[in-house]
Amino acid sequence: MNIKAFIGTAAIAIAAATSGAAHAEDYTITVWSGGTDDNSLYRVDAIEMAADYLERQAAIRGEDLNITIEKQVWSGWDDFKQAVTLAAESGTAPNIIVTGHEDIGPWSQAGILRPIEDYVDFDAWPLNQLYDNLIDVSSYDGMIWGIPQDAEARPFFMSKPDLKAIGYSDADIDALPGKIESGEYTLYDMLDDAKKMQDEGVVEPGYGFAPRVNNGTDYWQFYQSFGGEMVDPETGKLVFDKQAITDMYQFFVDAVEMGVTPKTYLGGEWDTFHTNVATGKYGAWHGGTWHKLQWENQYGLEDFFDNVSFSLIPAGNENGRPNTITHPLVYLISTQGTDDDAAISAELVAVASEPRINALHAVQSGHLAIGEAETTIPFYANDRWASEATEKLLPYANSIPNNADFGIYWEAMFKGLESAWAGTTSVEDAVNQAQATVENGLGDQIIIR
Amino acid sequence: MTENTSVERGINPGVATRPGDAETVKAARKGGPRISPFGILMLSPALLFLLAFFFAPVVLTAVFSFTNMTSATGITGGAYVISPNTLRNLEWQGMDKAVTESLSGTSITVDEAALSRAAEAGVDPDFLDDIESRLMGAHFEDARSFERELKTLPNRPRRIRDLKLAAEPFGQSILNTRFATRDQAVTAIDAVAPDLTEDQRDAVLTEAYTGWVWTTDNFKRLATTPATGRLLTNTALYVGLTLSIFNVGLGLFLAIAIFYMPKASGSVFSVLWLLPRITPVVLYAVMWRWFTWDDGFLPTLAAQFGLPSFNYMKGSVPTAWATIITLNGFIGASFGMILFSGALRAIPVQQLWASEVDGASRWQQVRKIILPQLKWPILFVTCYQSLSLLSSYQEIWLTTNGGPGNTTNVWALEAFRIALSNFTGNLEYGLGAAMALVLVVVGLTLSIIFLRLFKFGEMLEKPKIEF
Amino acid sequence: MSRNFASWPLILVLGLLSLPLVIMYAFVFIDSFTNAPPGSMIPNEFTLEHWQFLIDPSIAGNVWSATLNTLIFACSIGAIVVSLSSMGGYALSRLNMPFRQFFLAGIMVMHAFPSVTLIIGVFLVLQFIGLYDTLIGVVFVKASLMLPFGIWIMKGFYDTVPWEIEMAGVQDGASRFTVWRRLILPQVKPGLIALVVFSFLDAWGEYVLPRILAPTADYRVLSVYLERVSQKDSITYDFNLFKAVGLYYTLPVIILFIIFQNRLMNIFSGGTKG
Repeated sequence: MNIKAFIGTAAIAIAAATSGAAHAEDYTITVWSGGTDDNSLYRVDAIEMAADYLERQAAIRGEDLNITIEKQVWSGWDDFKQAVTLAAESGTAPNIIVTGHEDIGPWSQAGILRPIEDYVDFDAWPLNQLYDNLIDVSSYDGMIWGIPQDAEARPFFMSKPDLKAIGYSDADIDALPGKIESGEYTLYDMLDDAKKMQDEGVVEPGYGFAPRVNNGTDYWQFYQSFGGEMVDPETGKLVFDKQAITDMYQFFVDAVEMGVTPKTYLGGEWDTFHTNVATGKYGAWHGGTWHKLQWENQYGLEDFFDNVSFSLIPAGNENGRPNTITHPLVYLISTQGTDDDAAISAELVAVASEPRINALHAVQSGHLAIGEAETTIPFYANDRWASEATEKLLPYANSIPNNADFGIYWEAMFKGLESAWAGTTSVEDAVNQAQATVENGLGDQIIIR
Repeated sequence: MTENTSVERGINPGVATRPGDAETVKAARKGGPRISPFGILMLSPALLFLLAFFFAPVVLTAVFSFTNMTSATGITGGAYVISPNTLRNLEWQGMDKAVTESLSGTSITVDEAALSRAAEAGVDPDFLDDIESRLMGAHFEDARSFERELKTLPNRPRRIRDLKLAAEPFGQSILNTRFATRDQAVTAIDAVAPDLTEDQRDAVLTEAYTGWVWTTDNFKRLATTPATGRLLTNTALYVGLTLSIFNVGLGLFLAIAIFYMPKASGSVFSVLWLLPRITPVVLYAVMWRWFTWDDGFLPTLAAQFGLPSFNYMKGSVPTAWATIITLNGFIGASFGMILFSGALRAIPVQQLWASEVDGASRWQQVRKIILPQLKWPILFVTCYQSLSLLSSYQEIWLTTNGGPGNTTNVWALEAFRIALSNFTGNLEYGLGAAMALVLVVVGLTLSIIFLRLFKFGEMLEKPKIEF
Repeated sequence: MSRNFASWPLILVLGLLSLPLVIMYAFVFIDSFTNAPPGSMIPNEFTLEHWQFLIDPSIAGNVWSATLNTLIFACSIGAIVVSLSSMGGYALSRLNMPFRQFFLAGIMVMHAFPSVTLIIGVFLVLQFIGLYDTLIGVVFVKASLMLPFGIWIMKGFYDTVPWEIEMAGVQDGASRFTVWRRLILPQVKPGLIALVVFSFLDAWGEYVLPRILAPTADYRVLSVYLERVSQKDSITYDFNLFKAVGLYYTLPVIILFIIFQNRLMNIFSGGTKG
């Protein structure tokens, strides 16, 4: 915060506040949200509900407050992030941005964001009951920049009928998540089972194991399964764990060699993936908690709990651990508009984080609660998926780091994975290639192990 | 098609207009050639547009390619922020711990000076009275605990934002403050840490700067990253195959086939082959998806015949390549077709009849008479279309998007992705610009070569009226 | 042409080569009017349901405002390109200027530039003149990208106009401008028509520029609209709807193309697409 720059605005703001707001106050607040489909429109609709609430509150006080919300959503991420960054450069950014928490690093450096901690009270309801780890995820470089909008976990799924077909008893199936949690059942055990399913003819060749079809946070889970760490806890620097990257690349190459995953799997279509999941074509796969709702609502999956077993992502070897990554979206306040606009935007976000309002989003889209109180809202607590996933997965969830440079590391990791997977380079070359890219791009900002 | 020749004269250097024989008329005036201000006037609106949206972006791209500009540094410049990360980085670089501590010092003290600063900032006097009477002389480690105290005061502002603004004048920290200029930052640093040496302060400011800096690293990265080689190979493969099989090969075949056909069926085919060129790219891309997708036309058909049936567009490397080359080639074939057709019409019919009387087969006719006539148009199509293909990426982006596993990625697409469209949102404008600049240089060199090749100077006619 | 050779083998081979194209275009048409049973390509019922997006904006958004935007977009580009090219082309073809050869070479070279990869630079220019995220900004950019081509084509047309026409006009005492407007422009009318239709068609299909340079919904054009309909993992995803929208979007293009086919043939040989 630039002290001097704010003294002026402060004076105006305070004068306005103390002069007794007899005149009508009109605000137009824009909110943009990325990666938002029809299931998750409450990301922006919640802001509208909050505006209505604030207007009523003002009316009771005898003030005339009009808030117009202009909302826009993008179904993908590429376009959305491009639009936000370019709009911010041209001074037309939205007031409220709903995006992945990893954008806080670069965007705060670029001066696009106002730290939300300057505008809201984290000691007051409803922000005082948010999970601490989610607040940490919304913080960067000593400041709280955003308010978590949702949380999720990325479970590992296996088909119960297919497991049964290769000799698992009902008790074995029920015990499986526990065995995964303890590290007894590893990713390679999973590959063996997937292979068995194919050999027995329960699933078609190449459909044994279906990972995510494109780049995503999910692949860092496999890095962690093989003992990788994204950030060095002591220095806070990024970590490129050569052994873990090698093991992880090797794992997918092995999956290809065993024939349970196609060589050309990456770059496939979500539509195909979801359809195959819903029609029970895959033996094992992984995805997000929110996918379950998509499978049911859009692709016609029935009796999820009878057909699908879910758990943490299994450990890969003795170095790693079973894990899952949560990738919360956050509400961010941009530097767009006046300080008053920002204050109103922040209040809107705070109201939208009200457990009852947030529960609408969580249950509709299969995301998890952002705070303690939300889990006690009957609407949420009575939803089997939301509550089970919260209980079984969220305690083990960690997140990718907020680091302005993480994107470069991420791109390099995924490109290496792509080339090893497709067999265009050996695993060793792919790792070296990724290492060279991060060394070139990040220099001493990353520790190579 | 009577107008046809007119354009081909413009485009096709083989039949370009030669300097005329007719005598130049110098109306009302003798002497050497005169500059026409009217010409400049006529050209200037177009020049203005080209300057703004063509030339300026090229220059900007060249400039950006020597910066480390990303979405984190912003495009239009940076600010100076001393944050915990800045101090941590400084410590790694060996900066004295005492220095970083002096910079990070946060202290919130309620004293006379702070109260008067607050009064100056316009904080509500009643609230200030509260602060003065209850908290005078108090000292806080961080803003949050101070704010907690403030919230207990009777005259606290209703809005939390106002409370935070009122608290601000009491803090002395420069941590996480965004200074727009270097001078402001220097003043602030001098205020909290006056004993810093010049060098130390410069080191701090360098680390604290959030904007981009000049660098040649982009080109070094391109030169040393192994991925570059792969991209170059892909690009060469893509341009070479599409050009030889479709733009020239198929174009030639279409032109000759239509040439030998009855006029009616010939024009049906030429319209059909022009369709891909005029179809909007979004629709065209999805038509191909429908054609090659899992449950699309070709795989369904293949399944009927017991052939391997899968997603041809993304399911295997050879079929992915076949798909992108074919779908780009189908657009490009019409260019060659029309150009070659024009040249074919210029062949004297008697020559063909004569060869038939001599008993030449069709193949002989094509080889001996037609192909030699097409030498220049073929060369022209090759040069011209290789440039177009080099910079094209839309079709690949909307179909395979470089997949499977980055095997069909090309240079232009990668530049676009790095600079504008990637999943992690960390857009590397500088690196993307460097990649675009490479394309500009290659394109420039190639076009200069082929301007030479086609004796560009002869394509200009000397004005015959000079005034 | 030559009647000594049978043409049917050629027609057969060409027909086979063209089959993918025929099939793709035919099915765009067929699918938009019919339903097929799951797992089959052969339609079993005729229906107009895929066309309901025309009257019901809840299906895929307001198609009419997108159409209007696209129409304005393409018409303005056509107008700018044709007026500036007809002026610039004349200057390069007929008038004595310093650096004339340099200009012409420059235009030739620009013609072959990787224009879309310069988009960050374009963005900055637009932002500087305050036209980022406006339709008019995209119009300027797209028109500028087409200018080198347009000038080149128009120069070709002017080159074929006999000098005698101009000389006669000049000797009658008309100014050079009057000569150009009254005498020369009518001579290159086929070129003007071809160029305006061509630039209209090209602008009609433009996708990347509006998407990047005017990302907010107010300025949505049909290409972006169509792309939204094709998002595969949205609830509303419906392939036949996509084809109906696609056909609706492409129909004006095909009609224009068929009307102006002969004139356009001249221009396509200088086309800008790969």
